[in-house]
Formats: sequence, structure tokens, C-alpha cells
Amino acid sequence: MVKPVADWTQRSLELSRLLARAGVGDRAAFATLYEQTSSHLFAVVLRINRDRAQAEDILQEVYVKVWRAAQTFDAAQSQPLTWLTSIARNRAIDSLRREQTQPRLQTPVAAAGGTDAEDDDVYETVADAAPGPLDLLSRATDARALGECMEKLSALQRQSVALAFYQGLSHAEVADQLRQPLGTVKSWVRRALLTLKACLQGAVVRDGAGAS
Amino acid sequence: MDYSRPELADRLAAEYAAGTLRGPARRRFESLLPAHPLLREATRAWEERLMPLTAAIAPVQPSGDVWRRISERIGGGEAKAASAGPWNRLAFWRGLAAFASVAAIGLAVLLANPSAVPPPIVVVLAPTGTAPGATPPASLVASISGDGATLVTRPIVPVAVQPDRSLELWAVPKEGAPRSLGLLPGGSGTVALRAKVLAGADTLAVTLEPAGGSPTGKPTGPIVYAGKFSL
Repeated sequence: MVKPVADWTQRSLELSRLLARAGVGDRAAFATLYEQTSSHLFAVVLRINRDRAQAEDILQEVYVKVWRAAQTFDAAQSQPLTWLTSIARNRAIDSLRREQTQPRLQTPVAAAGGTDAEDDDVYETVADAAPGPLDLLSRATDARALGECMEKLSALQRQSVALAFYQGLSHAEVADQLRQPLGTVKSWVRRALLTLKACLQGAVVRDGAGAS
Repeated sequence: MDYSRPELADRLAAEYAAGTLRGPARRRFESLLPAHPLLREATRAWEERLMPLTAAIAPVQPSGDVWRRISERIGGGEAKAASAGPWNRLAFWRGLAAFASVAAIGLAVLLANPSAVPPPIVVVLAPTGTAPGATPPASLVASISGDGATLVTRPIVPVAVQPDRSLELWAVPKEGAPRSLGLLPGGSGTVALRAKVLAGADTLAVTLEPAGGSPTGKPTGPIVYAGKFSL
């Protein structure tokens, strides 16, 4: 696991440098930053807002914001990719706000139906082609300490977190999806996050001890 | 609510980062961030914790239109997204070359090289006229790396010369003799530039030489392409 970590660090340094240059108005550096990060941010946005045209609009907003805020990025405080991804996620979640009156949820029943199509069709097609939130979670688990900590959650806790995080579902939507009471889902998510935090803090301590 | 209470700040930040804090609560949380360092710090920490989850999402390429729109909005049409390396932009150069019979143009292109080295200098070499023995005139593009260590040339249109001839590239200083930079089979070549070989030069020229290059070390044949540049 030494190699990926080194790559990650290298990539972080590079992105921090590009952000710093963008912060002083270097458009070429910003173009490179876009080149290196846009497909990741677009994928993140697209999982939350599946309308491709809207997702592209969001991505545009995200990078305009990044350009304007680049000088506020502090490499000592944040990982650049986290900073960028957070901006993208927040914009994507904001975009759901406006559509929230009509939540469109993926249900196995609807996928089998087929006649009461309308715009659900688009959603189903995209959703079926893409890996589900749990698939993503299991892929992410290969990567880092977070993965190990995810393992400590119960299956339902994990699923709740994955649906909320990857798909941008609200508590109510997660509850709907899992056919569980809202209060139950809320407490799963909450406990899951607390478990993750405690577990990750443990991991940081262990890593720190190993490195010194 | 008392947002200076660490537990509350942490819980809200967790839900904000996880995406479950929604609607008016989310808006309110965002509006509080600038004034509450504790909330900000908690949020940052949660984002660092959770964001690695996104590493599992397979990248999706947005359409090129997105960058164009961004570029317009940030007030710069000139910066190009970097994937379009110099030679992927041949269509662009071809279009340019059509107008470049007006001698030649030295262009410093913002190629968005991800490093502190200066951008490459791109030199368009245009035909200098009908050269005896030359096949239909074509134009070349030469790119001098930002650190001045290498020069790469590519033809914009196919270049062919008779088998008993070679194309040779020269750096032509304002004063003094041209210095050979090497042969360009088919108009293509990669040259490792010796130190100072471009010093004082303001023109790149390609001559038609006997096969294997000029026997004398000085140009002997006609100049078929030339382009000005400045370092």
C-alpha cells in the first residue's frame, strides 16, 4: 500500500500547486486543473443529479466557483481533491433542493414495469447501467482506512450511508428506499457516522505511531 | 441553537458532509459557516473523512462544451484545456497555416504544462516559395520545449521528398551562420537541443539537402520552409 499512498500524495501536491497558481490568475494552471479533475467531479455530480444537462451546468458552476475561490484554498488545512469534491457535492445537492418536490427513487418494481414511463425511464436506464451505491462502497473499501471502518458498520447502516452519500438522498428518501421508519434511518446514519469517526481517529493514531 | 457546542457542531457537520442535512437546515448551516470557526473546522474534518468514498466512482468525461463555457465566464478564451497537446490541435494549425503564407508566426501557446517551466514555444514554418525539387509545399509546426532542451517538429500536411534528398532543420541567428539542428524525415523530428544552439537565433528554417544532410555543415540547398520566433 506504499505506492498508492505515494501516488496520492504526489497528486495532492500537484493539485495544490495548480490551485495556488489558479488563485493568482493563472488560467493555464486552471485549465490543467480542470483537465485533471473534471471527469471525477462530473461523475460525483452525476450520481447525485442524474440529468446530464443539469449536471454539466452544475459542473460549470463548480469550476467558476473554484476559479474565484482558489486563493482561499489552504493546502495546510485541506486536501485539494477533498476541497474540490466538496464544492461539487454541495452544488449537486443544492440542485436537488429545487427538484425535491418530486423525488425520483429507484425501485426494483418500477424497473420491471415499463409502461408508465415518462421521465422515470431515463433515471432507470442510467441507474441500471451504473454500479449501485453499495458496489461503490465496496470499491472504495479497497482504498483506505475508511474502508476498514466501513466494515465495522452494520449492513443497513452501511447502506443508509451509501445511499445518502452517493445518491444524495435525504433521510426521508433513504427511509423510503429501505422501507424503514424515518426515525430509525436517522439514527442509523447518525450512529454510522459516529462509528466512522471513532474508527478513523483510531486509524490516524495507529498510522501516526507506525510512521514515527 | 448554540453552535459553539462541539457535539452539536460535529453532528451537523457530519450530516452536512454526508449530504443528509437538507432543505432550510442545510441553507442555514451554510450561512453560519463563515462566522463559526468551530463549525467550519468540524465540516472540513468530516469532508476529509468521507470524501475518499468518492474515489470509487468511475470518472465520467463531461462534454467539451463545459470547459468552453467555463473559460468564457472566467474571462479568458486563450487558455486551452490541457489534454489537447500541441499535436492534437493539428486541425487548428492547419486552419492557421492556410493564412500563414504571410511569412511565419512565432507563437507562445499557453499549453497548460503542469509545472513551473515556461510554456513551449510553437513556431509555424511556412513555405518560402516554389523550391526546385520540392514536392508540393507543406507547412510544419515546431515546438520548442519550455526549458529549451528539446524541439519537436511535425508536418501539418504530409511531406515527401525525393529519395535522394533530405530535409534539414536549421537555427538561423540574426548574425552568423545557421546551425544545423538535424534531419527531418517526412517533416518529423525530435531534436535534443545543445546548449546555446538557439542563442541569438530568431528563425527556424528547413532546407532541401542531399540525402543524409548537408555535406558541408552549412545549408547548401534551397530554403523550403521558414518561421520566425523569439525566445
